Amino acid sequence: MRKLQTVFIIFISILSLISCEKKDSKSSIKIAAIEPLSGPYAAVGDDLITQVEFYTEEINNNGGVLDGRKLEIIRMDNANKAEKTTELVRKAIDNDIRFIIQGGGSHVAKSIITQLEKHNSRNPGKEVLFLNHSAVTPSFTNEDCTFFHFRFDANTDMKVAALVTEIAKDMDVNKVYLFNQNYAYGQSIKKQARKLLTDRVPRVKIVGDELIPPFGKVTDFNPYVSKIKVSGADTILTGNWGPDAYRLINALADAGVKVKIFGIYIFLPNSMPSMSKNALFNPIIQIKETIPYDTEKLPDWLNQINKRHLEKTKMSSDTDRMRNMMEMFARAINQSNSLEPVKIAYALEDMENRGPYGSVRMRKEDHQAHFDMVTTVVEENKANPMIYKDKNYGMAYSTLNIIEEKDVTFPSRCDMKRP
Amino acid sequence: MTVDIIIFTIFNGLLYGMFLFMLSSGLTLIFGMMGVLNFAHASFFMIGAYLGYQISTFTNYWIALILAPFFVGLLGVMVEKYALRRIHKYGHVAELIFTFGIFYIIEEIVQMVWGKIPVPYEIPKILNFSLFEISGMSYPAYSMFRLFISIAMFIAIYQILAKTRTGLIIKAALTHPNMVSCLGHNVPKVFSYVFGFGCSLAGLAGVLAGNVIGTEPSMALLLGPIVFVVIVVGGLGSLKGALVASIIIGLIQTISISLEVNINDLFSFLGYSIDIKSKLNEFTSITISQLAPIVPYILLIVILIARPRGLYGDRDV
Repeated sequence: MRKLQTVFIIFISILSLISCEKKDSKSSIKIAAIEPLSGPYAAVGDDLITQVEFYTEEINNNGGVLDGRKLEIIRMDNANKAEKTTELVRKAIDNDIRFIIQGGGSHVAKSIITQLEKHNSRNPGKEVLFLNHSAVTPSFTNEDCTFFHFRFDANTDMKVAALVTEIAKDMDVNKVYLFNQNYAYGQSIKKQARKLLTDRVPRVKIVGDELIPPFGKVTDFNPYVSKIKVSGADTILTGNWGPDAYRLINALADAGVKVKIFGIYIFLPNSMPSMSKNALFNPIIQIKETIPYDTEKLPDWLNQINKRHLEKTKMSSDTDRMRNMMEMFARAINQSNSLEPVKIAYALEDMENRGPYGSVRMRKEDHQAHFDMVTTVVEENKANPMIYKDKNYGMAYSTLNIIEEKDVTFPSRCDMKRP
Repeated sequence: MTVDIIIFTIFNGLLYGMFLFMLSSGLTLIFGMMGVLNFAHASFFMIGAYLGYQISTFTNYWIALILAPFFVGLLGVMVEKYALRRIHKYGHVAELIFTFGIFYIIEEIVQMVWGKIPVPYEIPKILNFSLFEISGMSYPAYSMFRLFISIAMFIAIYQILAKTRTGLIIKAALTHPNMVSCLGHNVPKVFSYVFGFGCSLAGLAGVLAGNVIGTEPSMALLLGPIVFVVIVVGGLGSLKGALVASIIIGLIQTISISLEVNINDLFSFLGYSIDIKSKLNEFTSITISQLAPIVPYILLIVILIARPRGLYGDRDV
């Protein structure tokens, strides 16, 4: 009996060990998507990955990459913490994942870039590629640039330049209050805003400059609202996103303070449940890649994709950079006929892709994508509203102005070392 | 700084302070009674907010205002009766670890039932208007309502403890539980009810504040630390201390956001100036308003050094 038990145990162990064997090469290509999926930024992270998953599925439904292989997104929760992200990147590398997608939070992106720099230089042949869709602190394509990082969203220098262009045209804007989160991203916005407003729009006076502790720590924005009121500002320029954004908007509406709000990510669809009508109290002007509502002005193929996006994810399309990211990535794989990050990176830099108003260009020098953008304003719109998780709140963006790529292209300070 | 801005700042500071009081009064009562530092206290606050949302989707806000704290209190009584009581004999450390575990369990349950994304808990339409305006700054009616309820709650608790027989029994059980038990009162039952009542206070704070700060699973984690600061500064077990400490902290935190002074200003007042490009400037150019969220913790450290018992406490931390 004893002997039978031992044989049985040995048999089961061997079976389990065999089943742990690595999958064969015909399986999907894994990509780790690292975003906050818990904590105050869970809603933001969930939406970001959902969009990435949708555009990945579009690629897969169009035949995948190489000889029909599919791309697979693996969700990873970093709770918006850089330390947790380091663990997750380690885990991804240990599981043979060669591609990382991230964007929610420049503090996280910085730690990924630093970690991958070290890993890639010490492990030639096992490099990992980082596709950044939303972390827009300029340094990642300037001082901190690295060959294995690609950014698909315009950085804050470019976005602030676009907003300042809009401010220059708007004669109602005379006193600007800068309001940002106190980390790399918010600090870059503040610096660039100061520089550009002083240089390009001398009639505007900067009447306030606030840096708040970031990531949902501040629950009561009323003291800040009273400071804004005291300063006499008629406009706020802010990079706040997530709870830091909707709490500001709610506090301004509650206190009845009327200002124009120029923002970069201030209005995210997942904030609508927390803001509802408050979002219409003050005009919110946001710089975006494109919006899906002007269907006559957009190319047909994009209208089709936006339609599928709404059906599949139950949310109106809110970005275009994820589409670019996945399309360019898939094309780079096919073009280089390889799954090696080095070869894919060479194919990806200097690539052009289709865009809503013209082509999207990945600049070879610093791996920063360049494209035309739009300034938009959030307005009441019952006819063609923004849909979020099957609900509509009676509002949508409308286009103000198209900002041309050439007006927001800046020289790079990147000194890239290529393998 | 004009008078109306000062009024607005004081009003907001008071509002925030009373919110902290409602959150921490339960905790200090529980600690005063039973010596149990309930790490999960902020979790009951979160459950109060979620139940407030859920009940108001079925019926309306006003019923939620009454029912949600009641259910949270019931949950508290059950936790005390069936779990905490058994752990009591193993000592304070065991109780603390247990409440720590409860914190995690509640957070996970909340995520499983309502998801990780904030729920659309809204201010009732009847109260969603501006009550009055002073030179362009409007005072929302709902904030007034919250302030009113918190003050009413404090008066009620004070009256119960000071003037009623129940209060007498509770206060006696605080210091002489054995004697009170010998006199025929069911002391364990008193403990259960005090625990439940403390939790229901936190739940009430949740119902009132959930629709202002946003109802999502990390609420407990964000507000947990400040509650401890309040009860340590006020004195563990002292209700009056909790009130004074909450208001002080509420006012300090709100006022310090408006203070743009930094060490550079101090130096220039004294006649020195610090080079803008130097490394030292990165430290000295930090304004008090940027430090505002950590000011309560600085106060905590000062109190622990100067007067560890807290303002009105009689137990050492």
